[in-house]
Amino acid sequence: MAKVLIPTPLRQFTGKQDAVTVAGATVGEVLSALTTQYSDLRKQIFTEEGKLRSFVNVYLNDEDIRYLGKDATAVEDGDTLSLVPSIAGGSAVAAPPEEVTLSNDEILRYSRHLIIPEVGIEGQKKLKAAKVLLVGTGGLGAPLGLYLAAAGVGKIGLVDFDVVDFTNLQRQVIHSTNDVGRPKIDSATEKMLAINPNVKIVKHEVALTSENALDIIKDYDCVVDGTDNFPTRYLVNDACVLLNKPNVYGSIFRFEGQSTVFAYEGGPCYRCLYPEPPPPGLVPSCAEGGVLGILPGTIGLIQATETVKLILGIGESLVGRLLLYDALGMRFRELKLRKNPACPMCGDHPTITRLIDYHQFCGVPQPAQAPPVEETKVNEGEIDVVELKQKIDRGDNFVLIDVREPHEYKICSIPGSKLIPLGEFPKHVAEFDPAADIVIHCKSGMRSAKACAVLKQNGFQHVRNVVGGILAWSDKVDPSVPKY
Amino acid sequence: MIRIESEPWAAMVAHAREAYPNECCGAMLGVSDGDKTVRVAMRLENAFEGAQATRYELRPEDLLAADKAARERQMDLIGIYHSHPDCDAYFSKTDLQNSCPWYSFVVLSIRQGEFHHANSWLPNFDQTDAAKEELTY
Repeated sequence: MAKVLIPTPLRQFTGKQDAVTVAGATVGEVLSALTTQYSDLRKQIFTEEGKLRSFVNVYLNDEDIRYLGKDATAVEDGDTLSLVPSIAGGSAVAAPPEEVTLSNDEILRYSRHLIIPEVGIEGQKKLKAAKVLLVGTGGLGAPLGLYLAAAGVGKIGLVDFDVVDFTNLQRQVIHSTNDVGRPKIDSATEKMLAINPNVKIVKHEVALTSENALDIIKDYDCVVDGTDNFPTRYLVNDACVLLNKPNVYGSIFRFEGQSTVFAYEGGPCYRCLYPEPPPPGLVPSCAEGGVLGILPGTIGLIQATETVKLILGIGESLVGRLLLYDALGMRFRELKLRKNPACPMCGDHPTITRLIDYHQFCGVPQPAQAPPVEETKVNEGEIDVVELKQKIDRGDNFVLIDVREPHEYKICSIPGSKLIPLGEFPKHVAEFDPAADIVIHCKSGMRSAKACAVLKQNGFQHVRNVVGGILAWSDKVDPSVPKY
Repeated sequence: MIRIESEPWAAMVAHAREAYPNECCGAMLGVSDGDKTVRVAMRLENAFEGAQATRYELRPEDLLAADKAARERQMDLIGIYHSHPDCDAYFSKTDLQNSCPWYSFVVLSIRQGEFHHANSWLPNFDQTDAAKEELTY
């Protein structure tokens, strides 16, 4: 026989009584009798499997039964049982698991962290217990990988299937000249482990796709987006929202960068900011538009800082704020970001509940499985660089137009070409003879295809686009022409 | 809906400011007849052993004492409050995973030592989600 004190919110299940006297020789028997008598109480206290719910503690008089005989604790007449929830919480991150410890070598290595009160041993253990996925080991991924490894983030996943190229070296400081031609993921892993052999690097040498994204991301606490294209950016966003993982975002263009944290603690997601991708081709990539080599360092390190803050649960995160950086003006600005209640991904009534086809969504073709340059097909309306060379050598009567920018023309050009940047091209259409034989090129064939389309719309018949642009010219016709 | 009377509200804000940069926690006593009214805020000790800037923990015996204090005043224990220093008043994963669906959870956001905003949350049984509860003070 014992008196059970009923917590306020549960009295609705006991006919408003604040205490109930029930029979039983042990705590288990008393609780069983109680929840038999008041069956609605059962769900409040026990799980469906009949175990005490994780938040319920039972006290016999002043003692927690866990430290007595648990369920079998004997109950005597006049005893009082109390149901007391265990309650805790905090602004951010859970404490590191107890099994995470720091060796003396690690304590020495991280000493400058350990003596900051906001980090300390507890914080360094959080870093060690953390699992962070870096999508991309390029411009943003390079500083991220180096600094997160140095900071002691215990497990760092890398997603990249690209190979180091000479044009990467101007900014992707995790890769060296000797690494050109190697998989980026191998080169990055090597550098990160050289800095800190205590971290575990997991290599995902694949393209992140709708098929594999959830499976890869689910094992990490946090995702850092270092991608350079819209389909992957939307994919990372949607996967993070679906899996409830914070997405530390950064993007760069020429002299300007942005950073924020999406999908964290009820904050907005990428789709709240950009519900739709820009029309294909409107926003140039770094390869098309160029980027100051140092810029991804600045933005990547803002992402690294936010990542470490999330792990440590300190400071004020960029959730709900878009940080804009202008390297030329050397100014930071901030825009307030709000969660869009109508967001199809994270709004009140989400309509996107699984990953979709992101190439179709962004209106860009699925990346081909790396076609060898030699086998590039020449379609109707196109011309191969070798044929172009023969045409020039034969002295054919034709017009060769280069639609790149003047600063690109200064780097290299094909002899005899006339420079008309794509932006000014429509104004010059009237200067050409619709009957003339016209060949147009750019760097790789994208912009010149647009120029060809403009002429064809204006009734030009003999217009051809140079497949592969001046890069193909350098490869197949004149290796002395520098590639950029 | 939960309404906090001015006296307990002032006590809660003062408690959160004093505890800054650490988190504070306490119990809210009052009456509940569908809508809840908080009449008394009772400070409880943050018993978390570690950095209290991002964590709090209530001792069950303190909670028991709060429940008892409520009974003695013919009131109910209707909720728990705690502060988020330099963070928003969201219901974090840590909050959720250590919550109890029986009570209202009021979170006070304290920025740079000053009160910023507050929210009240009602966690579910599985500790997987919390609904925002209308809060007036």
